Amino acid sequence: MRFELDAVYVEEEMRATALARRVIAALPPGVPIRHVPDGRIAARADRAAADPFAAGKRRMVIMRRRSRFLTGCPAASNEFACCGYLVMELASNCPMDCGYCFLQEFVADNPGFQVYANYADAFAELDRVRAGADRPLRIGTGELADSLAFDSLTGMSRDLVRYFAGRDDLTLELKTKTDEIENLLEIDSRGRTLVSWTLSPERVFRSSEHRTAPPAARIAAARRVLEAGYRVGFHLDPIIACDGAERDYSALLDEVFAAVPTARIEFISLGGLRMTPGLRAAARRRFPRDPMLLGEEVLAPDGRYRAFAPLRMRLYEAINRRIAREKSGARVYLCMENAAIYRRVLGAAPPAPAALGAALADGKRRDG
Amino acid sequence: MSAPADEAAIREWAAARRLPAPYLARWLELGPEDRAALLETAVGLRMRAGQLIAAFDLMEEISVRDARPVAAILARAEVRRILDGSGSGPGRAAALLGALRAIRFPRLARATERITCEIAALGLPRGIRIAPPRELASGEIRIELAAHGSEDLRGLLDALSRRAAELARIADLVAGVGWNDDEI
Repeated sequence: MRFELDAVYVEEEMRATALARRVIAALPPGVPIRHVPDGRIAARADRAAADPFAAGKRRMVIMRRRSRFLTGCPAASNEFACCGYLVMELASNCPMDCGYCFLQEFVADNPGFQVYANYADAFAELDRVRAGADRPLRIGTGELADSLAFDSLTGMSRDLVRYFAGRDDLTLELKTKTDEIENLLEIDSRGRTLVSWTLSPERVFRSSEHRTAPPAARIAAARRVLEAGYRVGFHLDPIIACDGAERDYSALLDEVFAAVPTARIEFISLGGLRMTPGLRAAARRRFPRDPMLLGEEVLAPDGRYRAFAPLRMRLYEAINRRIAREKSGARVYLCMENAAIYRRVLGAAPPAPAALGAALADGKRRDG
Repeated sequence: MSAPADEAAIREWAAARRLPAPYLARWLELGPEDRAALLETAVGLRMRAGQLIAAFDLMEEISVRDARPVAAILARAEVRRILDGSGSGPGRAAALLGALRAIRFPRLARATERITCEIAALGLPRGIRIAPPRELASGEIRIELAAHGSEDLRGLLDALSRRAAELARIADLVAGVGWNDDEI
């Protein structure tokens, strides 16, 4: 196991679940297990800790999810081009610790690493949603958590991949910065699971992406899952416009295209670093020595700090040119950018969220 | 200045200017050379607390990014020129903040300067204001016309239309197009 835990809290009513049993059986010796009546309390921030958010990451809470599992992407907004992504919230927070991560603000009050033991209920919920859907759906588990971190403990990916393997109108996206793919390699996904890696250049990884797998390991893992019948995609997000960024991102793409058969990459999404003032303050407080948090970001009209517009545009265009040169056919889309920037970078208006979502769910096979 | 004397002087300055306690604490946490250099600057430029806070934040960020101490930032030629120059304290304090911003945001400073120069070179009549977005935060440029009557308006529109090509180039620059590699 790559990640360390200080303790595991199990909600009383969940202690007999398969997930709780699997986690407890796989825990290394010495990790205390505590049973609690309400996991929500165990997940709350420990204000006495020097860094409550970091402390929360080391405290796994196996609990029942009390609200819906399926939600719209928290990044979706009428302001932005949107990929029509549906989020399946099976966990909250992440054992890795990226300096720029939005969870530092988003789950600041309840940073315990929550894993929902009643996750099978999500399948029933999804069955109801697909019954009323008129398009293929792409559902991801990697928005409020990394999809594969701790998969060696939870084994959730096996159940997920099996569920989606039987449903041709759905695509599961597992988004990760790990190389924890062993469970995936044992299962036939029937092409219904796409594994995507968020990638950054080595310099950003070293400076900001604490406890994640190195970019080269992520790329190697992508190749392995591709060979095992999974679809793959990449997220260059956040793109950090530090000095030399054009060269760094181009080199990163060289590495991807050298390792992964380019014709089989489903998509590459691009998203510039954006931080609300609250996130920026939290991130800088936690990582005051990280130069990646000290770029030329200014307060943009959407209320987020972003690299000033000409710099951001130049970088997007340079990256898009590098991708286009490869003629891979990978779909490129922008995340959380407005229509004007989308049009300028990609040369066309952003598709409607439903259309892009359906296209990403369908993948290359049906694109022809 | 010895460390204890230096600390007393910093505390005195902070008390007189009502510098918030967290900034005083951060100031005192700096190394001896850094805090003395900052004190010399604050006193020499007769800075207000708000100016010191802005300068301090910028210098800390530059210091982390460039791995250089605060004293080294204040010793840079473009900063030294302001500190050693003539003029009023408040004027030099404002100039210092401008210089620190340019060091902290070098590509933004270059881009802003180029766009400002290009706009000035248009020589447009009074009544036309070309307004790039503040800090180039968006790719949107605004053109404001202030006319008194139709004749005045026609004159402004004619002036704009004569400069249409140059204006289009400026709009492209604001949107991120047309930059040379070494500019941003």
